[in-house]
Amino acid sequence: MSRTVVLADDDSDIRALVAIAAQKAGMEVIGQGVDGDDAWELVQALEPDVVILDVSMPGKTGLEVCRLIKAHASLYTTRVLVLSAAVDEGSLAAGMAAGADHYLFKPFSPRDLAAQLSRLEERA
Amino acid sequence: MKSLFSRVVGYLSVDHPSAGLKQLPTAVVFLISVITVLSIPGVDVTNATFAYAGIGGMVLATAFSAFVSRLDHLHRWAIIIPVIDLFAIGAFRTGTGAAASLFSAMIILPVVWIASERGRIHILIATLGTSVALLTPFLSGVGHPTSISDVFRGTFTPLVFGIAAAIINELARQSRVQLAAIREISEQNEQILERAVQYALQIKQSEAKYRDYQRMFRGVWAAVTEQSVIGTDVTGLIDAWNPGAEKILGISALEAEDKRYVFEFHRGDELDARARELNYPPGATVLNPGFSALVESARTGSAESREWTYVRADGSQVPVELSVTKRVDEDGAISGYLFVATDETRNREVAKLKDEFVGLISHELRTPLSSILGYLELMKDDEDHPLSDEQLQYLSVAERNAHRLLRLVGDLLFTAQVESSKFPLDARILTLDGIVRSSVESARPVAASAGITLVEQIDPQPLSVNGDPLRLGQACDNLISNAIKFTPRGGTVTVSLDAVDGRAVIAVQDTGMGIAASELDQLFSRFFRASTATRNAVPGVGLGLTITKAIVTAHQGEMSVASEEGVGTRFSMTLPFADISPVTPVAITAGAGPV
Repeated sequence: MSRTVVLADDDSDIRALVAIAAQKAGMEVIGQGVDGDDAWELVQALEPDVVILDVSMPGKTGLEVCRLIKAHASLYTTRVLVLSAAVDEGSLAAGMAAGADHYLFKPFSPRDLAAQLSRLEERA
Repeated sequence: MKSLFSRVVGYLSVDHPSAGLKQLPTAVVFLISVITVLSIPGVDVTNATFAYAGIGGMVLATAFSAFVSRLDHLHRWAIIIPVIDLFAIGAFRTGTGAAASLFSAMIILPVVWIASERGRIHILIATLGTSVALLTPFLSGVGHPTSISDVFRGTFTPLVFGIAAAIINELARQSRVQLAAIREISEQNEQILERAVQYALQIKQSEAKYRDYQRMFRGVWAAVTEQSVIGTDVTGLIDAWNPGAEKILGISALEAEDKRYVFEFHRGDELDARARELNYPPGATVLNPGFSALVESARTGSAESREWTYVRADGSQVPVELSVTKRVDEDGAISGYLFVATDETRNREVAKLKDEFVGLISHELRTPLSSILGYLELMKDDEDHPLSDEQLQYLSVAERNAHRLLRLVGDLLFTAQVESSKFPLDARILTLDGIVRSSVESARPVAASAGITLVEQIDPQPLSVNGDPLRLGQACDNLISNAIKFTPRGGTVTVSLDAVDGRAVIAVQDTGMGIAASELDQLFSRFFRASTATRNAVPGVGLGLTITKAIVTAHQGEMSVASEEGVGTRFSMTLPFADISPVTPVAITAGAGPV
């Protein structure tokens, strides 16, 4: 059975790109959120193996959603990958502090994203 | 300017009267004698030859005196005139009754003249002259001494005249001495007067200048409305309060001067914090410790500018940039302090807006670029529908340009961070050879396609510095890519890493077009582009070197450049070696990584 993914980004093109990368990594995209609140609802409802979150989204930010996931008992196996257009070390540290399993800067290579997803899956 | 007094003294001087003037009394009296002889019966000419000789002599002497008066260089011969006078009088006496002549008294006039001349010799001349004039009747043989009294007269009268001449001579001498003294005093007075006049003039000028300065100062003081300027004495009591202070702090000079202390307008916690920073033990200073903290740098000699918060009269707060300088009195002792503050409220707002704007732009540009680059990669990687070589080449061009745009966004963001001093460094102990090598390797394809030889000269011993590998790599990349851009085909770019004087030096030397000496200073300014770059249409926006320098400076390093137009340029980054101290490396991979 392939692993399940919920992804969230307010940019539809990026959502589609992330979905393709996830499929290339052999994963099944079961939900796509357009903002933070949407994402959190989907994650709670679908309990995916992996969540891919953009940091700056309307509503809850990706980091807030990440924190909620990590604090939620039934989601303890869920891996979180954060995507961000902020490039400085501070935002990277903030991502890590929020409990993200991996942090990827935009623009990202779909190839790299697929590779990271496969690696997350292995760790899981 | 000669004073009236000295002019009068000059006119009265015994030396001053001309020979003509001195001769005048003798000539007049002689003329009267001649008229007397001619008009009064009983006063007769006894010897016509001598009488005429006398008249002739007198005419000659008088004519000569008029002549001498006009010609200055003959002046020293003027003494001949009274001598001739004496001879003339002697002859005239001889011709008008010899020893019994009525006109013996005339002798006194030339004698006075001779005797009043400078020098004792004139006493002798006067005496001898008198003897000659008196004895002429006997010496000429016209008259004969008839009694012993005649002989006696010839010797006694000259003796009396000689004594009189001596007295006159002495009086004249004394009068000359006195006159010289008077003249000297008068000259001194004149000089003093002149100096006094000059001083008065200078004082007047200084006063005018002082009034100008005063007006100027008042004008400037009133014109400074955007800066608060506050003057205090050494205790902090305010004694000067400009319109800017009134505007920023909300109270007037009348309310502040001599009534309030400058530290009352500061936040107490900031003053305490600064006092702690300066290690003031509580209660150690006589003055208010907060005030001491405020003026510490200025007091010890260096002017200081730092950020403080002013508290307005209504309790609201104003962020300011405050410069404190000392005021000194005439002896150089500190007499107080000057506090010049600029309201930073607006600047802070602008800086915040700018940060937000740059963040927003950066985010908004990176998101579409993510799509462009991501989908380009998908097309290239599509194994089901492989692209033709030509299509792949088109995609590479699109991809290369998207990356170029991305770099530009990164550079702009980074420059903004450098400016707002929010420039993150992830420093750790690292060896530089790896960084330099990887920069050189990544530049090889570009160098090769530009027909440039890329030479690597790396010191074999490991050189460790405390630095951010990503940023140092970026700095190296910038210098190498610049060198390649500015070097024509067939040239060489040499990248070296050495230890020099206990520091690591990374240098990039090219054989390129060089930079004009006049432009070297501006090279590291934002958006500056060298004339050689614009002339040769080398692409770029002028941020690379600004960023490189900022990175090097953040590493406590130095950046230098040497260049010669048409020969080449050498950029070098000098970095201090690391103090070996344990650093925990951050083990996070960062996707495509920051640009």
